[in-house]
Amino acid sequence: MRRAIVAGTATVSGVVLLLGLKPHGGGVAQAAGNFSIGSGTDPSSSSSSSASAPPTASTQAKPGSGSSSGSGSATKVVTGDAADTRYGPVQLQVTFQGKKIAKISVLQYPTESFRDQEINDYALPLLNQEAMTAQNSRIDVVSGATYTSDGYTQSLQSAIDKAGS
Amino acid sequence: MPAVVDRAGAPRRAAAQGRASGPPDLRLRLPADAAAYAALTLIALGGLAVLALWWKDTIGVVGAAGWLTGAGRITGLLAGYIAPLLLLLMARVPVLEHRIGSDRLARWHAHAGRYLVCLLTAHILTIIWGYSYTAQKSVTGETVYVVFHYPEMIKGSLAALLMFATAFFSARAARRRLSYETWYYLHLATYLAVALGFSHQIVNGADLDAGGERLLWSAYYVGAFLILGWYRLLVPWRNDRRHQLRVAEVRAEGPGVVSVILTGRNLDELRAEPGQFFRLQFQARGLRWTANPYSLSAAPHPQYLRFTVKELGGHSAAVAQLRPGTKVRAEGPYGAFTAGRVRSRKVLLIAGGVGITPIRALFETLPAGRGDLTLLYRASRPQDVIFHQELEAIAAARGARVRYLVGPRSEVGDPLTARTLARLVPHLNRHDVFICGPEPMAAAAVAALRACGVKRTRIHHESFAL
Repeated sequence: MRRAIVAGTATVSGVVLLLGLKPHGGGVAQAAGNFSIGSGTDPSSSSSSSASAPPTASTQAKPGSGSSSGSGSATKVVTGDAADTRYGPVQLQVTFQGKKIAKISVLQYPTESFRDQEINDYALPLLNQEAMTAQNSRIDVVSGATYTSDGYTQSLQSAIDKAGS
Repeated sequence: MPAVVDRAGAPRRAAAQGRASGPPDLRLRLPADAAAYAALTLIALGGLAVLALWWKDTIGVVGAAGWLTGAGRITGLLAGYIAPLLLLLMARVPVLEHRIGSDRLARWHAHAGRYLVCLLTAHILTIIWGYSYTAQKSVTGETVYVVFHYPEMIKGSLAALLMFATAFFSARAARRRLSYETWYYLHLATYLAVALGFSHQIVNGADLDAGGERLLWSAYYVGAFLILGWYRLLVPWRNDRRHQLRVAEVRAEGPGVVSVILTGRNLDELRAEPGQFFRLQFQARGLRWTANPYSLSAAPHPQYLRFTVKELGGHSAAVAQLRPGTKVRAEGPYGAFTAGRVRSRKVLLIAGGVGITPIRALFETLPAGRGDLTLLYRASRPQDVIFHQELEAIAAARGARVRYLVGPRSEVGDPLTARTLARLVPHLNRHDVFICGPEPMAAAAVAALRACGVKRTRIHHESFAL
């Protein structure tokens, strides 16, 4: 009996310790570095025009041409780099209106396993919502979807960088 | 045919092992428990490697879902690691059986089995709870979803149900109502459970989807089953054909105690040692389906093996009715209760009741100088003392001492107290002590020896109580 209590206590505290030692919260995405940006995976989406290597997106107006006159703020669509995660690449297409993020569509995300699909069905809408609210890539990691969150912020940041340049 | 017994009792092999040939060879040897500690260390290192796998693949633990899913993954990995270990412990691998001992392996198996069931419970609860958080579903809904929609999860769920059923039937309360045979065959279901549980780990296991890890994990499972099949099916089958064991004679030794003498070919190849046992399956009505442990009661001989058992139930009663010529399927030899454990010049043997069986074989063969070997033989009634003449003959030939502690406890009290032992055996703490007997007697003897200053590592005791 004593042995059982010792084993049980040791296991529970061991598991809690292991989990506790891992980073929690929003810092995760920046802390991790085990993916590479720009691995050029073909997004294979409908917007084939933006799939090519040059970072400049299908623009309708020149970016930053100074004149955001009235309602006529320029709309441009930028495809972010595909960020490789452990479970597959995440790649975003961001529609900017001027400097404002107007729309984010996810071109590709991990779907290889059943678990990926279940996670991302839930996590991606949340991440989209967070990004739209924040208007930048400093967003919280979605609980249970650490890797996807990670790839998402990377791809989003690269899209923002491209739009700004 | 008494000639058979006489020859079985005075084998050539034993002479070669140094029977009555002076003091033992006490060159520097590893402690008797070294193999056990090495095995435990290896098991622990494997567990750490599995945890490292999780650590490597996890960048963060975020929110309630992260904590729950993380706990589910860790417990799942550990459970997946322990399951084949349970098989390996019971695979009757000779080196483990001889160095660690079947009794200890069985105890580890039982402990690890209970631990596995706990890990499995934790794994299932935390994974489903964690997943339901992520998916924002009810726990029931997520359970149905995981079981019926995740790949290979029907098999995984069946595996868990089989494990829980086995755990239920192995629980002490339920086990008392089952016959040993029923329990044994129910227990085989766990092999199926381990096999069924494998595919869901590979397909859904986040840490096992990469090439190297997946390959290693699969090799571990396949290897465990191969080892199991090799030592529990192939080797016994081969030995069966090679040795062709048959019953040569069954003789009564005392009230309810019978000796079974087996004959066969090339028995020296079995390399059985005194103190070891075989699992025997007599090919006769009522005995065919069970393999029960039988201790050698005499040093093995190239043509004869003598075993002695006490009738305890219907099974042993049927053994007394065995006819000469009955075929026997034997697995073994097993057990680490042998001369290999001796580290001192002096040896004390303590036998209780029918526990004299392996002790009798050790008394005959343990390397010890004249005056260095003592046997204490506890029995509650004079007629329960068996092998009386054989023991006297061995004692005379080897210059060893035999003391009989006979009488019901109500009359003679408990003879195995620290005080009695110290009086009967001078320099008790300089002895290696072998004990075989009923569990309460053995426990009392161990306690008394410890009180007399005998080190734990010098006390050798096979206990099959789980």
